[in-house]
Amino acid sequence: MPLQVIGCEVVPQLLARLMAEARVVAPHRRTGADQWAYAEVRDPCEVELEYISTVLPAKKYAFPPVEQLVRYELAERPLMEAVVESEPLVIFGAHPCDIHGLWALDQAFCDVNVDPNYTAHRSGMRIVGVDCVPDEHCFCGSMGTATPAEGFDLFLTVVEGGYLVEIGTEAGAAMLDGLPTQEASAAALAQAKERLARRIQQTTRVSAECHSLPLLLSGLADSEQWGEHATKCYSCGTCNLVCPTCFCFNVIDRMALTLDRGTKEREWDGCMLEEFSKVATGENFREEREDRLRHRFYRKYSYLFTKYGRPYCCGCGRCVRQCLVHIDPVEVLNDLIAEAEGRRS
Amino acid sequence: MAATCQCEANRQLYVPKLAVLEHITPQTPLETLLQFRFEDGQPLGHRAGQFVEVSLPGIGEAPISIASAPCEDPIFELCVRRVGNVTTALHNLQEGALVGIRGPYGNGFPDEALHGQDVLIVAGGIGLIPVRPLIHHIMCNRFDYGTFTLLYGMKRPEEMLFRDEVEQWQASDAVDLHLTIDRPHPDWSGHVGVITTLFPDLDPDPARTRAVVVGPPIMYRFVILECQNKALADENIILSLERNMKCGVGKCGHCQINNKYVCLDGPVFTYSELKHMWEAI
Repeated sequence: MPLQVIGCEVVPQLLARLMAEARVVAPHRRTGADQWAYAEVRDPCEVELEYISTVLPAKKYAFPPVEQLVRYELAERPLMEAVVESEPLVIFGAHPCDIHGLWALDQAFCDVNVDPNYTAHRSGMRIVGVDCVPDEHCFCGSMGTATPAEGFDLFLTVVEGGYLVEIGTEAGAAMLDGLPTQEASAAALAQAKERLARRIQQTTRVSAECHSLPLLLSGLADSEQWGEHATKCYSCGTCNLVCPTCFCFNVIDRMALTLDRGTKEREWDGCMLEEFSKVATGENFREEREDRLRHRFYRKYSYLFTKYGRPYCCGCGRCVRQCLVHIDPVEVLNDLIAEAEGRRS
Repeated sequence: MAATCQCEANRQLYVPKLAVLEHITPQTPLETLLQFRFEDGQPLGHRAGQFVEVSLPGIGEAPISIASAPCEDPIFELCVRRVGNVTTALHNLQEGALVGIRGPYGNGFPDEALHGQDVLIVAGGIGLIPVRPLIHHIMCNRFDYGTFTLLYGMKRPEEMLFRDEVEQWQASDAVDLHLTIDRPHPDWSGHVGVITTLFPDLDPDPARTRAVVVGPPIMYRFVILECQNKALADENIILSLERNMKCGVGKCGHCQINNKYVCLDGPVFTYSELKHMWEAI
């Protein structure tokens, strides 16, 4: 199906149709703050599609902050059963960075030992993406994530009077059935192309090509800059929580007050937290903040990048927007790139 | 699903299987040996050097090395140091109790690399627990290996694990056993000194010897140096690493060392794999 254009007034119709079939979530402006959060849509007319990336990424629907894995009843013979839940869900208005973030989680949760809970959430999920207006923290242009190649059912790009609609799946095509659409004109295509080019230009801020990062970092483990940037860090783990590609978790047991049943749950954890690598005997294998900062950067721009072929960073800037001391991955990377170039010359 | 991920999920990935605690054998004031059998009679099906996640409902889960040899299946043993919530609760269990087990996980010791070779095992403290299955395996298949040397060091004599077995090994020609304690003690007439002080007495053939080293983190760098001094190649120095392993299946991220997950890629590594990883040793 060729690219289509829909008018702005079609968006509420599309939403209403989706809401009849599934829970629909979209970005909502948080009262009193210039911040956005995904929340359930109650009124199709309330959805705004021009927004700065939400505080928490869409990963919270595929990998909830707290999630039951196992339910048990204590008896003479304890009964344990898997808790795997799924519901039809539409994420409406996901930015390309969020869509890339879900791609990253797909790889991690679905390689060896496929995660049943994650796949259940994902299998019920449909995604209508939308292009964004970046702010000064975005750097998706540098990460190759300014536009999604896959991972959406529909993707909307703002053009004059409405949206250019890219159809990613058959389910996406079905969403448009019977709605007023028209084939995209050359002018609409040109507008969308120009908008993307402008966005990429604005968000290309890392001073090396993204695919050179793993090799570039390989010689920088001993750089003093890890320590310099880490002196500011509070080890609060906020960057982990808001990151669309972070997926570390802790597993804990929770008993009911009646003490006769309980659950095994996982909750988001973060490699920046001091306890993260500590073992029961007290040994901590990443005791220093700089060790943890370096680990986080290597995981994003080297280890998982090399393993799965794309950076484990979608350039969304959430980590720096929420960081209390403004540790900016672009600054850290650019400092490291300068050092690598200095060492070479 | 608007994703590339359409693979078959294992619904039971995080669900433990129930095992019966059949026998308890106290070892030291801190460690106790627990013998289990799955309630459904199925074998654990492990290799020497693997671990399980032990789950006590309402308390939590902990990764524990398997202490028994595969040939003893469907009985398997865990030797547990009382150090945290789960391990303390394990110490308080009575025979007949049911616990949850997930696993076995990890790669285990590379039997193909040891087969037909001289084996030198270096165990410090509770490092003896994960190598015990290997010791049993070698003793049961003694003609498949060349010389067999076992160094076992502990801080104090009362910390000795598997005392009866150690006495049997001492009396046996099948293994050349060297024991040491860190500091002099009135109840000890043997060698005194940290485990590296046993190395001057050894004369391994570097071409044939494979060293298997398990102990507290501090021990590794010194024992590796001693092995290198004996001209052992880095790929013939085999180590088992301890890390915080929450999920055991390569997801939760806690056990990561550089680009490796200890629960999937380890816990057993050769030194040649680890020497360029700054977080490993």
